[in-house]
Amino acid sequence: MSEYAFRKINIDALDEDVLLPSDLYDPDPRGPDGVLSDAQRKAGEVRNLVSRGDIPGALNTILSEPPYGDGVDEAKDLTKNSLLLILNSTRASEIPTILKSLGQEQQDHLMAYIYKGMAAIGQGSDVSGSVLLNWHAQLTEVAGVGCIVRVMADRRTL
Amino acid sequence: MSAPEVFQLSLGPLTGIAFSPDRSQVCVCPNSNEAQIYTRNGDSWDLTDTLAEHDKLITAIAWGPNTNRIVTCSQDRNAYVWTHTEQGWKPALVILKINRAATSVKWSPSENKFAVGSGSRAIAICHFDEENNWWTAKQIKKPLRSTVLSLDWHPNNYLLAAGTADGRTYVYSGYIKGLEAKPEATIWGDRLPTGQLLAEFKSPNGGWVHDVAFSPSGDALAFVAHDSSLTIIYASGPNEPPAAHIVVKLPSLPFTNLTWTSESSIVAAGHDCQPILFTGSPSGWAISHSLDDPSSTSKPLTPTATGIRSGGGGVGRLGNNEAFNMFKAADSKGQRGLPGTGAATTSSGLTPVGSDGMLLTVHQNTITHVEAYEWNQNGEVSKIFTAGRDGRLVVWPVTGGKGGLSGRMAGLQV
Repeated sequence: MSEYAFRKINIDALDEDVLLPSDLYDPDPRGPDGVLSDAQRKAGEVRNLVSRGDIPGALNTILSEPPYGDGVDEAKDLTKNSLLLILNSTRASEIPTILKSLGQEQQDHLMAYIYKGMAAIGQGSDVSGSVLLNWHAQLTEVAGVGCIVRVMADRRTL
Repeated sequence: MSAPEVFQLSLGPLTGIAFSPDRSQVCVCPNSNEAQIYTRNGDSWDLTDTLAEHDKLITAIAWGPNTNRIVTCSQDRNAYVWTHTEQGWKPALVILKINRAATSVKWSPSENKFAVGSGSRAIAICHFDEENNWWTAKQIKKPLRSTVLSLDWHPNNYLLAAGTADGRTYVYSGYIKGLEAKPEATIWGDRLPTGQLLAEFKSPNGGWVHDVAFSPSGDALAFVAHDSSLTIIYASGPNEPPAAHIVVKLPSLPFTNLTWTSESSIVAAGHDCQPILFTGSPSGWAISHSLDDPSSTSKPLTPTATGIRSGGGGVGRLGNNEAFNMFKAADSKGQRGLPGTGAATTSSGLTPVGSDGMLLTVHQNTITHVEAYEWNQNGEVSKIFTAGRDGRLVVWPVTGGKGGLSGRMAGLQV
């Protein structure tokens, strides 16, 4: 049996020049603490804006400089929940105009969060599948399949 | 505007393609370990030579227009240089010293050397060593971190651009000491020893860089990446930030290839199966139009060799039922509405599908290669050719990107 032991060696751990996933993007310049405090501040702002009915403002706030990468899970959760709150609080008739007012990068971030929301449906959080599918269809109309491709290709996972 | 010429050279993908300098012959690899040379015979192509030396799939072919030499590189980690003699094409092995597949190959503008990109995170610049009578290579390894997917030479014969799978584009010096005179300073760099990294750029969302190309003057560099983006960089001076770094994020599927047709226009093609023309300047770039008009219903272009599927035959008595076919189309092809009313696409960039299942674009699958075919008197490209995974070779006239396009813009489907 010892002659097969070599098959269990993790060869990538021994390779000095191995390319790690973290090499493929630059980490968030704010650092984990800065990211968390930003996310908490934005979550509070979003709650205010949504209660006042200012959906475009809320989306603008939450989709600018979202937390990404490793080590910022709490911030990511906060951001995701704030965004789902916004999505659920928007009237369906207003969605197209709101989407057109977003910048291109914000549209890409929104698509990423829509997919993240869809992944969370099974885990018992209060997301409605039809709301997400509606947003997804409208966003694809506005931003195109290129938006979806960018979400899939980007290593800076939101 | 004349219609594009379409040739079905193979039923499977064409993995490598290169034309002879006078465009009377084309060397292709039909997804196998052999390269085939076809000679033009009126409206079709006849197989005249087969170049069989590689053990594995040939990944790229380049034909030097001045020296008439073909270089092929393959997944078997080798490259061969083929020279034409009376007895046919004779191969000469190139010692690349790579331990993974070769992915791309390009002759330099003066054809005294060529560059091979490989999966072993290295670029091999090969030249003919007269003393030992063999082709030998110099490797560039630093700081390549991943597979080299594409290469392009600068018109000055020294600089080399490489696109890699870690989402970066590099500009290196490909100067070979002993082969040529020392290079002069250029806008990209002033110290140019072999393998010196002069510039590095990232794709906007981390997508693999599928193709890179220098502009005809060499002052600008464009690359397309898998995150559906086209980036154009205008250099300003050695060790200085670029004069312009323009990113066009596209609403369509990613491009896999591009070529400059003039100093201010680029044709790019890829997973949307149609070549798209972009125009711009250091102040900005934008989509001009698609060279393929999928909304035009007259299609005399479909070559008969494709074996068009006979549409219409259905399952028993439900076969001709309109309602049944409507739901069948919605289920299998994603078509909304009745077939025959035109498979209208949304602006979301989905390639339109006709009612018989064939795509409405000329190419039926991803376009894998775009290159210049013919030049006009100003030096601009007047025709380009594309080859794709559907085995088709298509020659397109490049319609200008200026004026008189209002009718086409209305039907623009990207």
